[in-house]
Amino acid sequence: MAKSKKEIISIQSVSKIYNLGETVVKALDNVSLSIYDNDYISIMGPSGSGKSTLMNIIGCLDVPTKGKYKFKDELISEMDDNQLANIRNEKIGFVFQTFNLLPKLNAMQNVEVPLIYSSLGRKERIERAEEALHIVGLQDRMTHKPNELSGGQRQRVAIARALVNKPSIILADEPTGNLDSKSGNEILKFFAKLHKDGNTIIMVTHEESVAKLSKRRIDIFDGKIARDE
Amino acid sequence: MEKLLEMNNFFKNIIIGLFSVRSNLTRVILTASGLTIGIFTVSIVSAAVSSIDKEFAKSMDYYGNDKVYVGTWPWSFDFDWWKYRNRPKIEESSLEYITQYSEYITDVSIKKNTWTRATYGNKASWVQLNGVYPSYQDMLSGTKIENGRFFSQNEWDLQRRVIIVGGTVRDGFFQGKDPIGKKIRLNNVTFEIIGELKKQGIGMVPGGTLDNLVIMPSTTFERILTRWGFDELVLQTSPEDIPFAKEEVGMIMRVARKIPPGDDDNFAVNSADAYMEQFNTMKNAIAGMGFLVTGISLVVSAIGIMNVMFVSVRERTREIGLRKAMGATNFNILTQFLSEAVAIAIIGGSVGIALIRLTVFGLASFPIPNFNGATLPISFDLLLVFYTFTVCVFIGVLAGLIPARTAANLNPIDALRDE
Repeated sequence: MAKSKKEIISIQSVSKIYNLGETVVKALDNVSLSIYDNDYISIMGPSGSGKSTLMNIIGCLDVPTKGKYKFKDELISEMDDNQLANIRNEKIGFVFQTFNLLPKLNAMQNVEVPLIYSSLGRKERIERAEEALHIVGLQDRMTHKPNELSGGQRQRVAIARALVNKPSIILADEPTGNLDSKSGNEILKFFAKLHKDGNTIIMVTHEESVAKLSKRRIDIFDGKIARDE
Repeated sequence: MEKLLEMNNFFKNIIIGLFSVRSNLTRVILTASGLTIGIFTVSIVSAAVSSIDKEFAKSMDYYGNDKVYVGTWPWSFDFDWWKYRNRPKIEESSLEYITQYSEYITDVSIKKNTWTRATYGNKASWVQLNGVYPSYQDMLSGTKIENGRFFSQNEWDLQRRVIIVGGTVRDGFFQGKDPIGKKIRLNNVTFEIIGELKKQGIGMVPGGTLDNLVIMPSTTFERILTRWGFDELVLQTSPEDIPFAKEEVGMIMRVARKIPPGDDDNFAVNSADAYMEQFNTMKNAIAGMGFLVTGISLVVSAIGIMNVMFVSVRERTREIGLRKAMGATNFNILTQFLSEAVAIAIIGGSVGIALIRLTVFGLASFPIPNFNGATLPISFDLLLVFYTFTVCVFIGVLAGLIPARTAANLNPIDALRDE
């Protein structure tokens, strides 16, 4: 890993422990990790390995039990709910396996959702949402509702929504898991393009073929990083 | 600026809440109908109570707030008639004692009461008859001589067949023409109309309207109308002296009737305020029931809204998770769901106001005799709207708070995983 790159995320000896009554589950065990600007990482691991927990912590949806998590200069591991919400809003774009579009809103309104929780005015929100839909090539589908779009198109709307706030990282959780191989490949090509344009992408996946396309691969096993190359 | 942005965010969440109301309109309307009924009943009940109040006050004018009445029976809505039926009749002679000994009574009259058939040409009607002294002219309450005159002392002495008639006689017998000087028959005896009373409108107390009343000298009454009826003593005092006057008159009556100490009164001293007290009890009972029913319906509708909000939160758990992942704070989500609950409540309340409006228009356009819908004391001023909205916002917040808090406190990870 070229050290000249700028570090965005620094995870130092992070553990996440769940207390489920009498049993204690160590979902993450003393994990350290650095993520740099314009990385394209895939995180792999069997179910129960802790990759989702790692993903949730990177995505600021959860805070570690132990250890330090720094996002640029901000200490995430010490933040309260509201501060975390602001970080998620400004710094992180989420792409989910099941798209998670709101069915009653059209493509445009779906892309606008993160902007509603920022302090932008209405005019700027619309401009930004249009711009994001342009990037994913759905400029002529703006007023369509999710049920009027194909699976691949829905995932592109979701990607546009992830991009709209110009985040520092894009977190994708099995983004091709619910797509046929053709649409899946399209999405992966699209991620490659985003990476080329300078975005930082972190992707969780099951599939070797998907992981191969990324530039860096992290394997998680039993809450520990088994491989990072 | 910071504040302004916060406000802006606040309103954005309200708008999101309103949008979700729109997308579940059927459910929202059904839920809100409970509140509609509540708001509707509360307005109708308060209108009814204040309407009864007004009508009753009008009836009370007939008795006056400055008079004491001595009769056989107490004025009461729930008297035990068997206690009073054997009491001796009221004698006119008692008036002499009262004039002689009372400090509070300034003027007196007998009032003989009966009902009879009045005829004019081929028209007939039942009227209430009062036989009184000439002094009664100054003791008339709730009305006055509007046309013509009262009978004189001379006419009373000579037992002349002259009468003063109530407001409905003019329309009933004379097609709205001046009845003065006309002759009508009462109990088959001809009387001349010399005066007319101002029309008063409907009353609520038995015999409490002056409009079908006929007044004549008590001497004439005694000579001609010897059928069943009852006598009362009408005693003039001033409103603030009523309690003293009643006590004093009671004592004088006991002396006049030579009732031994320890025995019960065999007469009743009445005044309008006693009626008023009983009436208020009744009115409060009606209002109490009405407001109880309203209160229950408001509570039930609040529970309904709460239920729908829980369903809404349950249905949209993933949406909540997504919004939180996208940067919504707990407060954003709380506002969104609270405004949804408040919107449902306000929809219910607004429909309620619209219904009341329609009802009043409906009543006003149906002619009911002696009742004018336009006089229904429901006022559509801003105050009613303001109260309704306050109540709705209150109920909305109350009903929405727990579901909205549940939504706001959802963990985004679990919420996103929700199937």
